[in-house]
Amino acid sequence: MTCLLCDKPLHDQPTWQHFLGIQKDTSACPICMDKFERIDSVIQDDVLDSVHSIYAYNEAAREYLHQFKFMQDVALAQIFAPTLRTVLNDSKKIIVPIPMHPINKKKRTFSQVDALLEAAKIPYQSLLEKTTESVMGEKSRSERLAMTELFHVPADILYNEAVYVLVDDIYTTGTTLRHAAEALKQSGVHRVEAVTLFRPIREK
Amino acid sequence: MSERDQLKQFLAGRIWLRHLLPFSEEVVDEAIRQGDIHIAPGVTTKKTWHGTHYACQRCHNENQARFTVFTCAQCEAPCAYCRNCLNMGRVSCCSNLLTWTGTPPTFPTSHRMNWQGNLTPSQQKATSELLESTKQGISHLLYAVCGSGKTEMLFQPIHYVLQEGKRVCLAAPRVDVILELLPRLTTAFPNTKVEALYGGAEVEHFDAQLILATTHQLYRFHEAFDAVFVDEADAFPYTADETLQRAVRKAAKPNAPIHFVTATPSRQLLAMNKKQGHISVLARRYHGQPLPVPRSVALWNYEKQLKKKRIPAKLLRWTTECLAKKQPFLIFFHQIELMEIAEPLFQKLDERICAVHAEHEDRKERVQLLRQKAVPGLLTTTILERGITIPNVQVAVVGAEQTIFNKGALIQIGGRVGRSVPNTSGDFVLFHQGITYAMDEAKREIRKLNHTEVPQ
Repeated sequence: MTCLLCDKPLHDQPTWQHFLGIQKDTSACPICMDKFERIDSVIQDDVLDSVHSIYAYNEAAREYLHQFKFMQDVALAQIFAPTLRTVLNDSKKIIVPIPMHPINKKKRTFSQVDALLEAAKIPYQSLLEKTTESVMGEKSRSERLAMTELFHVPADILYNEAVYVLVDDIYTTGTTLRHAAEALKQSGVHRVEAVTLFRPIREK
Repeated sequence: MSERDQLKQFLAGRIWLRHLLPFSEEVVDEAIRQGDIHIAPGVTTKKTWHGTHYACQRCHNENQARFTVFTCAQCEAPCAYCRNCLNMGRVSCCSNLLTWTGTPPTFPTSHRMNWQGNLTPSQQKATSELLESTKQGISHLLYAVCGSGKTEMLFQPIHYVLQEGKRVCLAAPRVDVILELLPRLTTAFPNTKVEALYGGAEVEHFDAQLILATTHQLYRFHEAFDAVFVDEADAFPYTADETLQRAVRKAAKPNAPIHFVTATPSRQLLAMNKKQGHISVLARRYHGQPLPVPRSVALWNYEKQLKKKRIPAKLLRWTTECLAKKQPFLIFFHQIELMEIAEPLFQKLDERICAVHAEHEDRKERVQLLRQKAVPGLLTTTILERGITIPNVQVAVVGAEQTIFNKGALIQIGGRVGRSVPNTSGDFVLFHQGITYAMDEAKREIRKLNHTEVPQ
């Protein structure tokens, strides 16, 4: 096995836990993993009841997302599988990934959030549908804030009492998540939380 | 030139992902309709009794661990992609690779060779042999010691192929070598279209006749060249990566000769060329002086001593002597970690001493500083084992018994010493804790080459 990020061989010590299948295979070497800065920041918002961002959006994160999303290296979804599994281990909550527009998804050949969840073997429900083809990354802050409805909920939601957790790769201005949460709340959901992999933090 | 001609010039000899072609859809579609372009799937699958076997059609990678299967939204099926050549644009089962099958483009047949350097009699002999093999289309191994002027010996054979109106590739495993070769070749062939291809370089001339490329870039070529010269054919990663060797084979036309140029040929390379090709041996440097023979000095527990923040006595004496005589020096380490422990210790002797390894972006500048004597010496990993010339440099290897210092590496490291006139010799020390076969073999080979008779 080699590290998915730096291609150097992984020096895994054989352990009993690994042999018995308790310990899972690692997909990246400790040196590469150390470059990601764990922050676990949790904030509240008027629409979202909590937003949990796991890592800081630093240089390593930028490179990671570039290789994962734009070079289309689906294998990289494995890297954060163990982290996502521990963060999203509450089986009572319903996981809802932020979707891509079908045309964009076809262009990229996969949806990054779905790929992350599938790699982590987390069951999810695709309740949302994206209505526009436009992408947040290409917009300025004011343009993003001025956007009208981005998502809609095609089917009726049956369990209004359950907690719904939105999952996305990055939280910047929060427009995407806020729109998604609003769409869910309009369908009658009471509590919407969110988990994102990265979030930019201000340099000290 | 019409866009269609440009497409032909560009795609002939290349194998390219359809969605990455720098041409409009209509032109490409038109060429496909006329049968000038062949379309192949990016990754082919073969069912075997133990599962599916994937093969990348661009880099010819068949290592199954380098493929990832995912549910593709484009072909709506499980789709595999190759991670071996990912940074050139992803190749998957549902992507299309295009090759040109129409009439091949023509290249000019008149080329000026602007090079009047003198070859020594032994250089002239080797270059004539290489030229003869090129004419016959037989692979040739040019086995020439470090500092014998290998690049100059390639000019005549390259000129011959260019004059025939054919395409030539000069490949090397490392970018540093390509960047060093480029100005020398553009001055030698002033009215030939030359292009250098390496990771991060843009494709500029669509119809370059002489292409300099890292071996990785040859993944993108398909039966393109009438002759391929592989410089430093023993360097990492070429020898370690089978797909690179296949890439060179596939970039050449089926019967085109592939020539190898190296100072330390592997046993495999020697055997291959003995069987089905020719070999020229050039045992003397261009200044005619023998290669420096390494001397072995025992240096026990160097690792432990360095970790205790102490430079071993013999190494300390060697370094201070170099400093006193104002001779530039290189000290090779086998491990970056150990070198970084040693760096502050050496800086106590002279604060300008610094370390270089592959991840240092300014390693070129540091080597330049050593050449200008602004820095008395460098600590380095095997990254500086080849391709650099520093007048009057002295070389020491710490931990010469480590497996990374194989025969080839030791000979290359020794090849840094005494390359230029008037300092045609110098000290080459192997500090070791136990002599290995590799050290013995390197020493034996250097002695053997020094004793070989050369034409005067």
